[in-house]
Amino acid sequence: MAKTKSDLLQGTLDMLILKTLALEPMHGWGVSQRIQQISSGVLNVNQGSLYPALYRLEDQGWIESEWGASDNNRQAKYYKLTRAGRKQLDEETANWQRLSAAIEQVLQAG
Amino acid sequence: MPNSLMRSLRKLFKVKRTEQEMERELRLHLEMEAEENVRRGMAPEEARLAAMRSFGGVERFKEECRDVKRNRPLETLWQDAQFGARVLRRNPGFTLVAVLTLGLGIGANTAIFSVVYGVLLRPLPYQQGGQLVVLKQQAPLARNDNLNFSVKEIDDYRAQNRTLADLAEHHSMVFTLFGGPEPERIQAAVVSANFFELMGVTPLLGRTFAPSDEAHGAEAALILSHQYWRRSHKGDPNIVGRVFRMNDRPHTVIGVLPPLPQYPNENDMYMPTSACPTRSREEFITNREARMMRVFARLKAGVSEAQALADLSTIAGRMKETYPDAYPANLGFGITLASLHKELTQGARPTFLLLLCTSGLVLLLACANTANLTLARLMKREREFAVRAALGAPRGRIIRQLLTESMLLSLIGGALGVLLAAGSVRLLVNFAARFTPRAAEISLDNTVLLFTLVVSVATGLVFGLLPALSTRRSLIPSLKEGGQSAAGAGRQRLRGALVVAQVAVSFALLVGAGLMLRSLFNLQKVNPGFDPERVLVMRVTANWSKYTTVQQYRDLSLRLIERARALPGVLSAAMASTYPLNPLGLANGGFNRNFQIEGRPPNPNEPEPQVDFRVASADYFQTIRLPLLKGRLFTEADDAQARQVAVINRTMARHRWGAEDPVGKRISFDQGRNLVTIVGVVGDVRQYGLNREPTDELYRPVRQTGGAGNLLVRTTVAPSVMMVQLRQAVYAVDPENAIDQAQTLENVRNESIASPRLTAALLGIFAALAVFITAAGIAGVMALTVSQRTHEIGIRMALGASAGGVLRLVLRQGLTLVFVGLALGVAGAFALTRMMSTLLFAVEATDPLTWLAVALALAAVAALACFAPARRATLIDPLTALRSE
Repeated sequence: MAKTKSDLLQGTLDMLILKTLALEPMHGWGVSQRIQQISSGVLNVNQGSLYPALYRLEDQGWIESEWGASDNNRQAKYYKLTRAGRKQLDEETANWQRLSAAIEQVLQAG
Repeated sequence: MPNSLMRSLRKLFKVKRTEQEMERELRLHLEMEAEENVRRGMAPEEARLAAMRSFGGVERFKEECRDVKRNRPLETLWQDAQFGARVLRRNPGFTLVAVLTLGLGIGANTAIFSVVYGVLLRPLPYQQGGQLVVLKQQAPLARNDNLNFSVKEIDDYRAQNRTLADLAEHHSMVFTLFGGPEPERIQAAVVSANFFELMGVTPLLGRTFAPSDEAHGAEAALILSHQYWRRSHKGDPNIVGRVFRMNDRPHTVIGVLPPLPQYPNENDMYMPTSACPTRSREEFITNREARMMRVFARLKAGVSEAQALADLSTIAGRMKETYPDAYPANLGFGITLASLHKELTQGARPTFLLLLCTSGLVLLLACANTANLTLARLMKREREFAVRAALGAPRGRIIRQLLTESMLLSLIGGALGVLLAAGSVRLLVNFAARFTPRAAEISLDNTVLLFTLVVSVATGLVFGLLPALSTRRSLIPSLKEGGQSAAGAGRQRLRGALVVAQVAVSFALLVGAGLMLRSLFNLQKVNPGFDPERVLVMRVTANWSKYTTVQQYRDLSLRLIERARALPGVLSAAMASTYPLNPLGLANGGFNRNFQIEGRPPNPNEPEPQVDFRVASADYFQTIRLPLLKGRLFTEADDAQARQVAVINRTMARHRWGAEDPVGKRISFDQGRNLVTIVGVVGDVRQYGLNREPTDELYRPVRQTGGAGNLLVRTTVAPSVMMVQLRQAVYAVDPENAIDQAQTLENVRNESIASPRLTAALLGIFAALAVFITAAGIAGVMALTVSQRTHEIGIRMALGASAGGVLRLVLRQGLTLVFVGLALGVAGAFALTRMMSTLLFAVEATDPLTWLAVALALAAVAALACFAPARRATLIDPLTALRSE
């Protein structure tokens, strides 16, 4: 089966970023790569909307950033989850599971 | 919430860095993506382009990121502030004038508020100072509203009251202190041991009194006041334990007080009652009528002043019943109380509130002026705002921009104001010290700075909002070429209204200052009854433990006179119990004694006659040039063995004998046992202030009494030159004499009117500032009017209007505003000067001369301010004016 790439649902990008950063602190490019990798390339993060999302999350206090050395010794801006961000991730995950379960049910019923 | 606020603040100061960071982050991302592409097998250049493509528009992305950040008020504010700062820098003239006017206005208010806060508003520096009260026994029928207390009375109040937590006594005496380089005359307060505990005072060094210090025969203990400790002992940290000799016994310093306002007088040191030679005498303690002490008390928690007063009045009533001899009916004896706070500040209240009002008005003027300047500038910036509005800036955004600019100005002005106030606070403390013991508490503390901040922000709002709200909703006229001359009629009206308000406020301030000046002039013109020129006065205090008899004191006085008279350059010398305008007399009033007139039986329903009793040597009258009106002065023959004589003043002669000749009449101070013959009548003296009518005065000769404590000398040369020799002469008579308050009588006179003079000076400065600001405002408005009417004036002149006609046209417009302002100012001045009536001397608050003069002066200044722009109007060349359109 050929893989089709899906655009992200409105609002889910935030949740995916939080989830990705929950694993380890990462720079912006790493986040986009990781999301693509983990979703086996299904989810395509529009890089143009990645950074505004990162800034927005930082602004809301869910993630914070810090300059650090990257793998090949370049200065990169690393983002990491704050405590508030972890709580937010839990909430959004729970929401998402409720939502997807409901959708699943509707689809099954059909 | 506080977290997000912190974040906002942090970000606010990081705006620049974030922009760079964004750039770096983006570059890095693209590099990484390109490398990844290379790894997938693309050529480097192709990889770079692919990375860019997959990212989408870089600039669009940046803008989106900025939007995420921008939507926060603090950062918008920062942008506005940066832009505002640029605008202000580009208009240095406007900025300078606005900052200076606002700085002066805010500075004046900061300074005056620091005084008002330090003296009137701040809680007393005692623990729960609000509970502290001062008790006063009164004898209204004998016109004595502060009778003081005897030991017996204090005991009664202490034992019988149910409303006071505690009660302490206080009286003040003069002693000579030995142990320093020179004998020192010190003012000592004698207090009960619980005094400092009652006040809630913790000592700076050492301890306060314990009950054991007050026990009979206890070692004499001293507590130094902060001021005295700093002044006479240079703040010696090891002073506790030092021993001084006083009253022929050792006194040990046990503590030093923190800086405190002292009431009712300034004291150098405090001692317990057992250490005071007078207070510890058995016959003093048992005499119910030996009233010398003041009483301080602390109300029990929850007790009101009225409840305490009722309680104390009951006790006073009981005393009257039990001891009718000590409280004759013609005293009208009673008790009252007042809060210590009120006692400490009531002298300052009217003057300080007046100054606060005037400085507030000056600030309003500064606001009006800056608003006016801003309006003028707005007209020039009309197009800028129209363009911004056309590009989509909402009206609120433009108003916010204007407000930010005005806020920036007022904050800079506020900073300048704080500097000005800090520079003047020393002067103001000295000024305030003439009105209240609390002056030392004045400082630019956090509360005052907070006040300044609030005032600055409010100022910025007031003068920023007025012009900002006048920005027009419709842009089209501003965008059209030449739209300016047709626009802004409403704004012009607003500017006119501001000028009217400025004139009105200036008028009120000028009338206030004018009245104060007139009053001061009247004070200086008043005939004091004596001639202060070339007279030197000094207080000489004998070490009174060495002088025990009346004769010894008298001899000391006579020897001092002799020594002083022998000095070359001395015209005459005298000793007297006091001298005119003596600051102590100004503070405490006279020494009133009851007397009886021979041949006039006392009327039990009337208070006994009273007279202000003084002791003076024969040459006193000549020394201060107090004229003899009738009879004779004292001679050397009027000694202890001779007939007892007195000289009275004219007021007493009229008051007690009317048309009769008082010379030869006899009076008595002890119910007729000893009779004193009146031998002369001298002129009246303004003894207790140039603004106070003379009272009944009586002088007794030094040779028939126990001497006097003030040496007066009239010199042939400048009196200050004689000071050193005179001091030496006093020490030559007795090296243990203590000298203080040595100064010229001229100086005494000037000091006595220093507070009205300083008040007048401050009001004058405020008024001058107001007139200056107003004149600048009028000139500015008129100049703008002329430049806006250039075209119209050009047409008028082309049609044949003369230069005089044009001048009249412009002047009429300007002066109309001025006269409307004056009319409104009359109403304002009525309100302001009503506050001043207690401060004025020999001039009514509604003095027509002052009002008229001020109105004319202000109209003249205003006309002058209109004249320059009006004259410019007459120089308009009609051709150029018409072509310019």
